[in-house]
Amino acid sequence: MEKVFEIYIKTTPERLWEAITDSELRQRYNFGVGVSSEWTPGSRYEAVHPGAGFAVSEGENLEVDPPRRLVQTMVALWSDQVKGEGTSRVTWEIEPVEDSCRLTVTHDQLNEGANDELFGGWPMILSGLKTLLETGEDLTTPGSLRYRNAGSEEAA
Amino acid sequence: MDEVFKALADPTRRSLLDALREEDGQSLSSLERGLPMTRFGVMKHLRVLEEAGLVTTRRRGREKLHFLNAVPIQLIHERWVSKYAEPWAAALTGLKREIEE
Repeated sequence: MEKVFEIYIKTTPERLWEAITDSELRQRYNFGVGVSSEWTPGSRYEAVHPGAGFAVSEGENLEVDPPRRLVQTMVALWSDQVKGEGTSRVTWEIEPVEDSCRLTVTHDQLNEGANDELFGGWPMILSGLKTLLETGEDLTTPGSLRYRNAGSEEAA
Repeated sequence: MDEVFKALADPTRRSLLDALREEDGQSLSSLERGLPMTRFGVMKHLRVLEEAGLVTTRRRGREKLHFLNAVPIQLIHERWVSKYAEPWAAALTGLKREIEE
């Protein structure tokens, strides 16, 4: 199964690449989850919620071509149900269009009838990314509230 | 955003989005099968959806596949639903579902 998500963001490819690969920026729009990696081809990455204290997903960086293209495998680890889904693939493509960038996220190699938790969060993540880059502010969404609170409760 | 509202204002286009939500990555021929409409009519509606960013396409060999892009709907939701009406809307759609079941 394959899912495609596309958004236009008024920013430069370099800033967009930074927002995708910098852990602190990533936390601000990705349900509080940061990402740590060396960002070299073949390197591993881990997505960790600081409140939860464990990796919610992980994988390998298959292609790393800043600031245009990032291909990663993804193994979801946030619940027993999603752990059974195995490995899928996420491709980030950045294409400058006049004063903006078109960002396309293709999530494929998903099982037929895959759990929609795996890909259902992309629209929220991408619109939060747009808000962050265009206004410098965090976007409050039902998801961001839920995960922010969940993190602080578990940390407490 | 005008384009998204315009695209969503038509029942045929909404049913095309529903068809892609059900099964993503369909060709024109397969989308056409579900609709009482000429190929040309379906193409016209798909073009409006593409211009609004609600449908993105990929070429696979000789076929052009259509994918639902839910991001513009999310943007509308944030701009026009969550700010104004989310607690109410959630309660009411829940109630509507319960009544309809």
